[in-house]
Amino acid sequence: MDKHKWIVWVLGILILGVGPYFLENTSLAFLIRLAGTAGLYMLLALGLNLVIGFVGLLDLGFMAFYALGAYTAALLAIQGWSFIPSALAAMAVAALFRLGVGFPALRLRGDYLAIVTLGFGEVTRLVITNWDALTNGPKGLPRVGQSIPPISLFGFVFTTNLHYYYLIALCVAAAVWICHRLNHSRVGRAWVAIREDEIAAELMGVEVTQQKLVAFGVSAVFAGLAGAIFAHRESFVTPESFTFWESCLLVCAVVLGGMGSVIGVVLGAFCIVALPELLRDLLGTGFASARYLLFGISLVLMAIYRPQGIWPSRRRSLELHRAEPEQETLFDVENKR
Amino acid sequence: MSLLEALAVTKVFGGVAALDHVDLSIKGGEILGLIGPNGAGKTTFFNVITGLYKPEAGEILFLGQRIQGLRAHQISALGIARTFQNIRLFPNMTALENVMVGRHCRTRSELFSTLFKTRAFKDEEQDIQRFSCELLEWVGLLDRGNALAKNLPYGDQRKLEIARALALEPKLLLLDEPTAGMNPAESEDLMALFRRIQKRGITLLIIEHQMRVVMNLCSRVAVLDYGEKIADASPADIQKNPAVIEAYLGKTNA
Ligand SMILES: Nc1ncnc2c1ncn2[C@@H]1O[C@H](COP(=O)(O)OP(=O)(O)OP(=O)(O)O)[C@@H](O)[C@H]1O
Ligand SMILES: [Mg+2]
Repeated sequence: MDKHKWIVWVLGILILGVGPYFLENTSLAFLIRLAGTAGLYMLLALGLNLVIGFVGLLDLGFMAFYALGAYTAALLAIQGWSFIPSALAAMAVAALFRLGVGFPALRLRGDYLAIVTLGFGEVTRLVITNWDALTNGPKGLPRVGQSIPPISLFGFVFTTNLHYYYLIALCVAAAVWICHRLNHSRVGRAWVAIREDEIAAELMGVEVTQQKLVAFGVSAVFAGLAGAIFAHRESFVTPESFTFWESCLLVCAVVLGGMGSVIGVVLGAFCIVALPELLRDLLGTGFASARYLLFGISLVLMAIYRPQGIWPSRRRSLELHRAEPEQETLFDVENKR
Repeated sequence: MSLLEALAVTKVFGGVAALDHVDLSIKGGEILGLIGPNGAGKTTFFNVITGLYKPEAGEILFLGQRIQGLRAHQISALGIARTFQNIRLFPNMTALENVMVGRHCRTRSELFSTLFKTRAFKDEEQDIQRFSCELLEWVGLLDRGNALAKNLPYGDQRKLEIARALALEPKLLLLDEPTAGMNPAESEDLMALFRRIQKRGITLLIIEHQMRVVMNLCSRVAVLDYGEKIADASPADIQKNPAVIEAYLGKTNA
């Protein structure tokens, strides 16, 4: 069983790693760009999952942090900053805003918090749309005569969709790894405990507010990075990319994939972004107008028949150590008797 | 010095005092029973001590330190752990993980040591797991360690909640009706567990409705009625106290 799983993983990584390389000069080359877009949404969904899936806080304005990351990176790149510092700045700005909003908003619970995040998402978009002096308003960045250069890392310039695909794939892999690592750590357990029962968690010694802020911060870092890559890949950013609708899609990705499930959320983002496009190409443009209808129907069906998501989260089984007689025990049974 | 000292603690809900100038002193090492009719304010007293509710008046000292006004998690970290009248486990985490969460405030791994998997992180994670397994074994639940908490039978959930509380290495353990809904054999089993906990040097404050348990287990019993403490004496004296009989035993016997 475990052996087969291993083979599936290796095959999957091989196909995702080498496949696009062979597609580049075929009629299927559009898939590479699509996969890159899906990858950016995977990064976003993984970040959002930390908040929704692990800590259990509904966030309806997550695109705001993607936008902050994209605009920060775009502005700095126009000033001539190279990718790594501008991406770091994008992550920092996203995280700072996240903490700034989070700190007061975390006093609210449940639906109220969701409304505040929704509001923040819209306010961010409106400010970006209207702050002409900084963001060039609805026309977006860069302004005429300026440009966002492609990413250049260690002398290598990312020019094609394939280049960006590999960069994004690497980031997604890193993000998956980080989420997985967090999931089974002291911090991740505290987050899940908060989701399961906030009061019990607090009374078991978990600093609930602080832990929520940490989760908020990390999630925004993911969004900031995705935004920075997005800005460079498109070499163009406008407020239209960051609507409430996109935030909703992200929430759908998390719910559809399986809240709290790292693999599930990646699949969820794929279904949300790539599947509709693929279906459109298969079924013709007539499908384009119906795709969100199908999408809605499938969400409803999921909610009824498989509410835990495509790939539900599972808590990992751990080895159950039995205290050995000669071994000194941590929770000392005999000595204190 | 007493372990916990509550002085004139008052908690009001909508004009009604759920706790009315309650004084209670708990000595280290004892098993103190807290009884009283439904709605007397027993759970409210726990909630006030553990920082869930802020008292309107009064003072709470733990090991000589004022704890009212501290955040609940800070109070827990000082060494007060509790269970809940309606079990509050983390239902979708495994039994073992439930206990591991209890280690949170005794451990320190933060984001960075976690992400970079430092030596300290790995060692600590191993310690958390070992400690929690030993604790599960100690309460007799190790075999169910990887079962989700929500899938455990009721009696095991009660025990798991106690194990999780013990993971904080508390000095004072507050148990809110731990034997509720248990048959005599099961409550006997739990009473043995409480005695073992006491032997570890942990002080227990137990809210309990079953008189048999109270009389057998507790060295002292405090009685609440309409938010007021009406008695505080040995179990034998409590049984003879006319005020208690009227407020509590009288009603149940009638
Ligand atoms: N959060 C709250 N808001 C308003 N009133 C409350 C709250 N918590 C408790 N009360 C009230 O305070 C009084 C004491 O309740 P409490 O739960 O402490 O009683 P109890 O002694 O634990 O009773 P039981 O044996 O039924 O558990 C009750 O009248 C209850 O309605
Ligand atoms: Mg109660």
